[in-house]
Amino acid sequence: MQQSRDGTGTTPAISVQDVHFSYGSRPAVRGVSFDVARGEVLGFLGPNGAGKSTTIKMLTGQYRPAKGRIELLGEDLATHRSALQGRIGVCFEEKNLYPTLSGVEHLRFFARLHGVRDLDPGALLARVGLETRGRDRVAGYSKGMRQRLMIARALVNDPEVLILDEPSDGLDPVSAQAIRSVIREQAERGCAVLITTHDMWEADALADRVAFIHDGRLYALDTPERLKLAHGTRSARVRVRREDGAVDERVVELDGEDMGRRLAEATVGGELLTIHTDEATLEAVFVQMTGRGLT
Amino acid sequence: MSRPLPSRAALVAAIVRKDLLEFSRDRLWVALTTVALVMFAVVFWLMPDRVDETIRVGVAPASLASVLGQLALEGAEIGLDVVGFESEEALRAAVMGGGEDGPSVQVGLALPDAFVLRVATRQDVVVRVYVGVTVPIEVRGAMTSVARELAFVLSGAAFPVTLEGGDVIVLGEDRAGDQLPLRERVRPLLVFFVLITESLALASLISAEVASRTLSAIVVTPARITDLLTAKGLTGALLAFSQGLLLLLITRSLVGDVPALLVAMLLGSVLVSGIALLTGSSGRDFMGTLFLGVAFLIPLMIPAIALLFPGSASAWVQVLPSYGVLQALVGAASYGRGVVELAPYLVSAAAWAAAVFALGWWALARKVATA
Repeated sequence: MQQSRDGTGTTPAISVQDVHFSYGSRPAVRGVSFDVARGEVLGFLGPNGAGKSTTIKMLTGQYRPAKGRIELLGEDLATHRSALQGRIGVCFEEKNLYPTLSGVEHLRFFARLHGVRDLDPGALLARVGLETRGRDRVAGYSKGMRQRLMIARALVNDPEVLILDEPSDGLDPVSAQAIRSVIREQAERGCAVLITTHDMWEADALADRVAFIHDGRLYALDTPERLKLAHGTRSARVRVRREDGAVDERVVELDGEDMGRRLAEATVGGELLTIHTDEATLEAVFVQMTGRGLT
Repeated sequence: MSRPLPSRAALVAAIVRKDLLEFSRDRLWVALTTVALVMFAVVFWLMPDRVDETIRVGVAPASLASVLGQLALEGAEIGLDVVGFESEEALRAAVMGGGEDGPSVQVGLALPDAFVLRVATRQDVVVRVYVGVTVPIEVRGAMTSVARELAFVLSGAAFPVTLEGGDVIVLGEDRAGDQLPLRERVRPLLVFFVLITESLALASLISAEVASRTLSAIVVTPARITDLLTAKGLTGALLAFSQGLLLLLITRSLVGDVPALLVAMLLGSVLVSGIALLTGSSGRDFMGTLFLGVAFLIPLMIPAIALLFPGSASAWVQVLPSYGVLQALVGAASYGRGVVELAPYLVSAAAWAAAVFALGWWALARKVATA
């Protein structure tokens, strides 16, 4: 087993070191660095135009960084591109499928491109809930079905690295949940997952760590919990019925030294009805750190 | 664990297989291809399969027709079919179309009754030459010469000029008496049209892939852009070549020098595939691709159309990319010339096919790289 550069574990499945990329004179990615371990899900968060898709194109070998280095599974992507592309799975933001081909034909085609000879398309389609529609042409698929087929396509080669660009964007809750389940399964079997999204709730629920990217730069990289604790504000909303029958709602900040006293004071002066705690959201943290929202 | 990467050939084969499957599912192009094949085959069979180089000449009075007929026999390649008429009015009617029962002629020579005597005594003779409106200008001129020659023959006086070789000197291949029938002339044109139809089909497939970004999904697998482009080129050449071959079989035109014919068609297929790569990577949608495709292909059809009207092609037509292919197609299919004999045309066709294919390759590679 190889040692990582920092000596804390195995070599990261994805290692991005000081990567830069420009479209002509317009810089899109400026000095981004991060690692993703095997079995880890990293949420890559940022608004449109932040540099997420450009970073993904560099990770998948479509673009070559102007500066910096990308390693996948311990090997330099620049020199082992084809071999590494055989070990990664990619799900694009746009539904780039062939309308005239069926789900099964899609999977067989991409299996051939990966050199997979023992593909069971039925089993793979069953994992994403498409087992009954595998023979149908994609032209007749709903948006959710297409997205699930995209995920299945990304899994034809049992990838060790899974790169997903907005995998549940615009999906109904059932389809989105199905896709999240598959992503978790992949992480549990040791696959490194990089997922871009601007859905903070999804990132919070799915990602072990999140990275904030804005204007081509990485602003933060940590677990959602630590980011919220470090940069967010917790509060409690206390509802009290006064003696005259009116209901008061009081917001008490939970951070600070005299938190207990403030909370106690908020509950006096009437009948305590409810106490709701409000945790800081990732979106609030993102706004605080970058000065802008995610959409 | 990493598995062995598929070979380049396996990758290209997988993409070609997928492309052909997509093509077979595209109702529009399958229908267009079928209609084109049927239509071109019908056009081919409707074309006349022989050439009538004979000019029907009417002579009044009828007594002089035998003299002119004798003159025609002496120079058989002239192809004069002489018909005698009793009166100038009957001759005019024949030139106008002949009426219900009377014969029709293309040219009429109305000679005076005392034509022979007047010519023999060197007196002035007035001859009227009638021609139908459809008679080409060169035939009109020839008929006045025939009238003069007739006078000279009858009077016993010859031209005071000696023509070397006894006739005109033809520069290039003299096809007098051996002209290609229209069916023969239209054959390469139809084959080329089939190739063009298939190139538009491929261009449409490529532009759809560019628009839907499915190409990106391929290039993040072990397949390289070169595999993708090779596969597209192969698909295009395969589609065009097979359809062209099918047309040749349907029209029983796999004749002449078959190896040279197949080589010419293969080069034509590569040429149109290159154009398909170029237009497919540039077109944004179906109509845009179609418009671009037609814009590119019209100049290529000029040498094909020129084959229908020999002598109409200007020198610049010879530098068009399709000229070599078409000349090789005609040479192989109609005149049975072999690869060696057609080498100049085949080399020119190969050079153009390589250049256009390289240009298309570059355009699509650029499109994929920046998608």
